Amino acid sequence: MKEISQFSKIPYWQILERITKSLGNLIILLFGITTFMFFALRMAGDPITVLAGENASVELIAEINKQYGFDQPLIVQYQFYILNILRLDFGVSLSTGQPALTYVLSQVPATLLLAFLGMSVTLAISVPVGAWLGMKPDALSRRLASGIVFFMQGLPGFVTALLLIQVFVVQLMWFPSLGYSQVKAWILPSISLASFLAPKLVRMISANVSEAMREEYIRTARSIGASEWSLLWREAVPNAMLGAVALIGTQFAFLFAGAVIIEVLFLWPGIGLLLFRSAQTLDFPVLQAIAFVIAILVFIVNSLINATFSFLDPRLQRNTS
Amino acid sequence: MTDKNVTHKSCYKWRSHFGVSIELVIGTILFSLVIILIIYRTKFQTYDPYIGNLMDRFEPMGKNGHLLGTDNLGRDLWSRLLEGMRWSISAATMATMTAFLTGSLVGLIAAQNNGWIRTALNQVVDMALAFPHLIIAIIVVAVIGRGFWPLTLTLGLVSWPIFARVVYAESLSLFERDYVIASRTFGASRWSILIGHIVPGLRPTLSVMLAFHFADMLVAESALSFLGLGAPLGVPTWGNLLQQSRDYLFIAPWLMVVPAAGIIYAVFTVNLIGDGIAAQARRHGRRIDV
Repeated sequence: MKEISQFSKIPYWQILERITKSLGNLIILLFGITTFMFFALRMAGDPITVLAGENASVELIAEINKQYGFDQPLIVQYQFYILNILRLDFGVSLSTGQPALTYVLSQVPATLLLAFLGMSVTLAISVPVGAWLGMKPDALSRRLASGIVFFMQGLPGFVTALLLIQVFVVQLMWFPSLGYSQVKAWILPSISLASFLAPKLVRMISANVSEAMREEYIRTARSIGASEWSLLWREAVPNAMLGAVALIGTQFAFLFAGAVIIEVLFLWPGIGLLLFRSAQTLDFPVLQAIAFVIAILVFIVNSLINATFSFLDPRLQRNTS
Repeated sequence: MTDKNVTHKSCYKWRSHFGVSIELVIGTILFSLVIILIIYRTKFQTYDPYIGNLMDRFEPMGKNGHLLGTDNLGRDLWSRLLEGMRWSISAATMATMTAFLTGSLVGLIAAQNNGWIRTALNQVVDMALAFPHLIIAIIVVAVIGRGFWPLTLTLGLVSWPIFARVVYAESLSLFERDYVIASRTFGASRWSILIGHIVPGLRPTLSVMLAFHFADMLVAESALSFLGLGAPLGVPTWGNLLQQSRDYLFIAPWLMVVPAAGIIYAVFTVNLIGDGIAAQARRHGRRIDV
């Protein structure tokens, strides 16, 4: 009850201020990314060759010149480019001919599904394991287990994925390795994605839980006669999750980066696979649209997590007011 | 009882003087093995890493003096692993140094200035941190092409913001310390405070970060090479070895397991070193959050 009343106490202008501030940050980020991509394209040498291919016809070159204005000075080109992006026009994919932005957006659901699956597996593993480890961190079995977790933390995600493919697809033939049409094929990608998020989360949760178990409110609750089980799950773990949510927020940007390699390995038709293919063929309109879309995705996820965070931890709201 | 206490205390003293945490010792020993193998690799290589014998294709481990087997062209995997180790480790080192120098410089400049420079730099760092840097690296390397310097400089120049953020936060708190304020009241110049107080104060945090960042860069390098966007094709870096192994998963699983084990070994030892340094700093009463 108390939390809810505190939450409603935030004046509306403060919420407005937060929203405008984060939207301003998003606009600066998008501006930075697009500017960077503009100059990266110019750095590659002759942009017409990049866009049209080695042996382009004269008409195609003329059309590209008209569309992007490559015969103009750099400042005018830049203005052209920014104006096009403001109209959400990234040009046409060089390999498929579709508009780049719609092409990229059509791949977003698969990536989001993979991120969601990976996150669910991560949470399903790391919360119980972290709580178990944090309850009595000095016991022999848990020391052994935390050693294993430390080792797992060093495993690069794509190496784990390769080893999983080797064992479960090649040797045991339990799973199909490619595509995402059947639910059975979802298992390995989400496990490999979780394998490089979970160890860090487990270590953090166990450290937080073991710290919380020494707090005075736990001692009080124990002296009143609460069982160890309810101490752990009702007092210690919810507090430990606060730090974990912050970590999840910072990890989400890396989830997208890690998803690139997982998607390539498992031929998962998401943004990562598209990024890989367009990087190979230098499909520049698509690359620009991908950078744009990923920036927005990361921003949305981060602001959702920040909102959850300030909802979970009433102390944060008090600090800002 | 008292004797026991005394021995315990002297033990503790010994450890705090010379002593290093156990992780650091193990990590350093295991990692120096990598360095030794790189320096004297020609002595350890049993075959030429680039020339194979087509009669010996896909030989399993230990046959015909091929320590770890051979690949699809009959080249010795052990020799290739050592050859690629040099490339991968030096690429990760250069990328880490680039990120470290750029990031610390930006962080120190931001901490020194109070005005718009700090705001602007912080804004840039925020922006860069919000975007997954591996994706930028993929795009940039795809545009400018493969090779040692393109790859290392790109990896370094996309991953520096994390150094800038930590150096900025740490040196801001160091500037508020009593000894820094005291030396400022005695008239110490800005540069002598920076060199004499701030930089030494940053050392423990930076060494931990360097270790972890090195591990990150090693993984990023092999990931990019694995995607075909990193090392030049002929060089047997660990990522390239993994990439080539994908076609022979069924016939020759060792082609994949061996470079994977190499990456895991290197990353694990470097993580041990980083954890050891952090544990040691914690023993001296400093918390390190990286």
